[in-house]
Formats: sequence, C-alpha cells, structure tokens
Amino acid sequence: MSELGDLLDDIVSDVDGTLLFSPSGSLYERFAEVDDPVVVSKTNSVGADRYVGLPLEFGDVRERVRFGVEGALENGFVEEGQQLACAIALFSEDLDTVTRVRAGDFERSGVYDLFVNSRAQPEVIQNVLEVAIELGKKGQKGKRVGALFVVGDAGKVMNKSRPLSYNPFEKSHVHVGDPIVDVMLKEFSRLDGAFVISDSGKIVSAYRYLEPAAEGVDIPKGLGARHMAAGAITKDTNAVAVVLSESDGLVRAFSGGEILLELDPEEY
Amino acid sequence: MYPLVVRGWYGGLSAPERNLLTALVVLFLGITVGAIAALLVRRLLLALDVDDAVEGTSFERTARQLDGSTVQFLSRLVGAFVFFLAGLYAIRTIGLVPEEALIEEIGAFLPQLFVAIVVVLVGLVVGDKAEIVVSERLRSVKLPEVAVVGTLLKLSILYVASLVALSQLGVATAALLILLAAYTFGVFFLAGLAFKDLLASAAAGVYLLMTEPYAIGDEVEIDGHRGVVQEIDVFVTCIEDDGEEYVVPNRKVLREGAMRIRG
Repeated sequence: MSELGDLLDDIVSDVDGTLLFSPSGSLYERFAEVDDPVVVSKTNSVGADRYVGLPLEFGDVRERVRFGVEGALENGFVEEGQQLACAIALFSEDLDTVTRVRAGDFERSGVYDLFVNSRAQPEVIQNVLEVAIELGKKGQKGKRVGALFVVGDAGKVMNKSRPLSYNPFEKSHVHVGDPIVDVMLKEFSRLDGAFVISDSGKIVSAYRYLEPAAEGVDIPKGLGARHMAAGAITKDTNAVAVVLSESDGLVRAFSGGEILLELDPEEY
Repeated sequence: MYPLVVRGWYGGLSAPERNLLTALVVLFLGITVGAIAALLVRRLLLALDVDDAVEGTSFERTARQLDGSTVQFLSRLVGAFVFFLAGLYAIRTIGLVPEEALIEEIGAFLPQLFVAIVVVLVGLVVGDKAEIVVSERLRSVKLPEVAVVGTLLKLSILYVASLVALSQLGVATAALLILLAAYTFGVFFLAGLAFKDLLASAAAGVYLLMTEPYAIGDEVEIDGHRGVVQEIDVFVTCIEDDGEEYVVPNRKVLREGAMRIRG
C-alpha cells in the first residue's frame, strides 16, 4: 500500500493552497489549524473566512472545481499559477477525492462572474437556473419544451423587445423563487417568446419577442433561433440569458453574447 | 355501616382533637391536590410546547444548571402554592396563631404574591425569547449595532412585567407608570419621526404596485430625472438613463407626479 501512499503524496506535494468542497465542520477545524483552506460550498456552515459560495450543486465535478478555483482567484484567495489541491466528494456524501489543479490553467470561463458580477442578484440567477433545470428534467406534460429567460436590466430588455400577445404577468407581483412560479412557468413555457425578469427577480413579462441588434454574435453552429436571440440580447444589454434547448435538452447561460455555462438537467 | 362508625368515633373526640384531625386531613389533601396540580400544569405546559419555546433563554439555562427546567419550576411553584394555602388553613383550624386577622391577611396576600412571581417569571422567559427571536431575524442585517434592538425589547418586557408584579403586591407604581408612559411616547414619537419617509413611500408604493401607472421598461420623468424604469418596489423606483441610475422614493412620485414618455 505504500505505493498508493506515495502516489497521494506526489499529488499533494508542494501545493500552495487547499480547496475543500463542502467539508464537514470537524474536518475544516483540523485543516484550519495548519493552513488556511478555501471552503467551497453552498452555504458557509463551517464559518470559514475564505469562502466561495456555490450557486448550484454542479453535477459535473470539473465544473464544480472550475467554479471553486475561479471564485478563489476572483476573491484573491489564490493567485494565478499556484498549485492547488482540491478535496471533493465524487461518489459519496463525504470527501473522497483529491485532485490537483493549477490556478488559471484552464481558460477563464467567467462562470463565477456570471453569478457574482451580473446586474441581477446572484440568488435570482440561481433561481432561474433551477427553474430551467426543473423544466428541462420534467418537460411539459412529458414533452420536451424550450424556454428563454432574460434576467436583469429589464428596462432595456423591454425596450428592445415587443409583446407577442397580452402579458400574463401584467400587474402581478410574482418573483422567481416563489413556490407558484414553477407551475406558472411550466404552463407559460408552451407559449413562444422570452420571459423577462428584473434585477430583483420580479417576472416582468412573458411572450416577449426580442429585437436586439444581432451583429457580431457568434454562437456554435447548430443552435437555433432561441439561442441566437439569447446571445444577441446579452450582447446588446447587460442582461444574462438562460436558455433551455428544445432539441438537445441542455441548459445554457449567456452573458455578453457568449455561452458561459452548459448544464445537463438530467445530472441534477 | 362504615360511615356510621366513623361518625360515631369522630363525635366522641374532644374539640382540640377534632381540630387536629381536620388540620391533618387538610394538610394531607393539600399535598395531594398540590401534587396533582403540579402534574397537570406540567402536562399542560408540555402539551403547549412551552419547553421547546423557552429553549435557549437564560432562565432555562439557569434552571438547567440547577438540574431542573422552566416547566418543572413553574409546575412546582403551582404545587407549592396549593400546599401553602392548605397549610395556612390547617394552622387556622388548630388555632396555633392567636391573631385571626394575620392569617386572613396572609391568605389574601399569598395569591397576589403568587401572581407576582409568575408574572416576573413569564416576563423573564418571554423577554429572553423575544430577544433571541428578534436577533435571529436581524442576523441577516450585517450590522453589529442592530443587536441593541433585541436587548431593548427584552428590557422593555422585563420592565412591564416588573411593573405588573409590583402593582400586584400593592407597591406604589405611579412614578414607574409615568416613566413607562414617557418611554412609550418616546419610542413611538421617535419611530414615527424616523420612519415617516419610509411609511409615506410604502403607502405610495402599494398604490404604484397595485395600479402600475408605469411599468418596467417605460420611459418616465420623475422629479426631473428622466430614464427607463428598471425596478419598482414598495419603497423606491429605480430609473436608469445612460449609465446613471436614480433611486427615487415613491412618495415623490405621488407628490410631484410622474411623466410617462410615449415612445
């Protein structure tokens, strides 16, 4: 077994920092005594000083590590080029995997920026993503549906779009994250057009036909008009767009005309 | 058959002996009824989830240190009160204390003392609990000074409780009452003064949200600020214009009116 121990030693030898993903309280205490680990989890239950909040339980471990590292870089907890050991739970509830990454090794995807530095509040984007994932998982009456949510900068988005029909959310005060919203959005997703959501999470409108300037928007070939509209509106305004694809069932998040995040609803 | 024998035996006793017997029976009854009352109160308090409610208060913690709990303490107090009443009655029957008037006075005073003690206890527990609940609610407000609100609330409750208790005992509380009135007036007056703008904005905000004279995305001019409406909530309306964002309190919208620009 000493070879295995050596291998582990090799992996964690001369690392500059530690990232603990959702550690238990006692484990964090043990680490906190020797060095100052960065905690990445959904809630800061261990009360760590250096903490990166996960907006979603990313099913893909690479996404989770990427988000944690980008968050740590953004907050100045680690520096570009540092060697980091990440302890993460892959199969079980507890930490069972240790992996080594170099901060800044992968291209900065801006996933962290998407949540933290967008106009809209992080919880709102998180809620919209959850609604989209939910919708992608269950569909509408068992059939796959597509949907487009434009989050934040609602005033500008409304000015760059026109109604396809009467707005069902007029004079209503529904916010994403309200329990009734899941059902409502599921029903309204049958209709064409985009949902517009304000910075604070109020659902401003459904049935919007987006009319942004689409020059210079480059999205992967094969994606349809819905993704094109999402890319264009995020380039033209400061909004973030969350798209549920009808054809491949993936959830994609756009900001500044680029795809920043791609999630498979089935993994959540 | 049996009651007749007892009555005959009782009739044969001398007057002091009869009194002693009655006193003993009353004392015994007092113990029994006291225990039952304590048990019932305990059951009642547990059924009302009082033990969960008082969790974490400093009174409960003190009780825990003395190997008890708030519920136990309260139920024992009730039991002791019943027992004391019985004891008093027993003493009167025997005629141990010569002064009848003294016993009368104690008999009248005891319930008041009991109520006073209970009021103080409830005040202590409720004050503590209120402090805990309020400070938990305010925890999301990341401002250390906000903890003073909870303490203030706790002290207010304790103050009122001790006022009630003292007046139960017949202590002159007029001065304290005047202080209370001044305090209440101060709190309401200051709060009214402090929240005047917020309340006015909220009243206007409710109207704006209900009728939606302008919606998100409309171009409006309010109080000289022109731009696109980004957000309307109960207190403020956010208008944005080319990188400048105005946060306009809703009371201004009603007072000065808003101009909607048709595109």
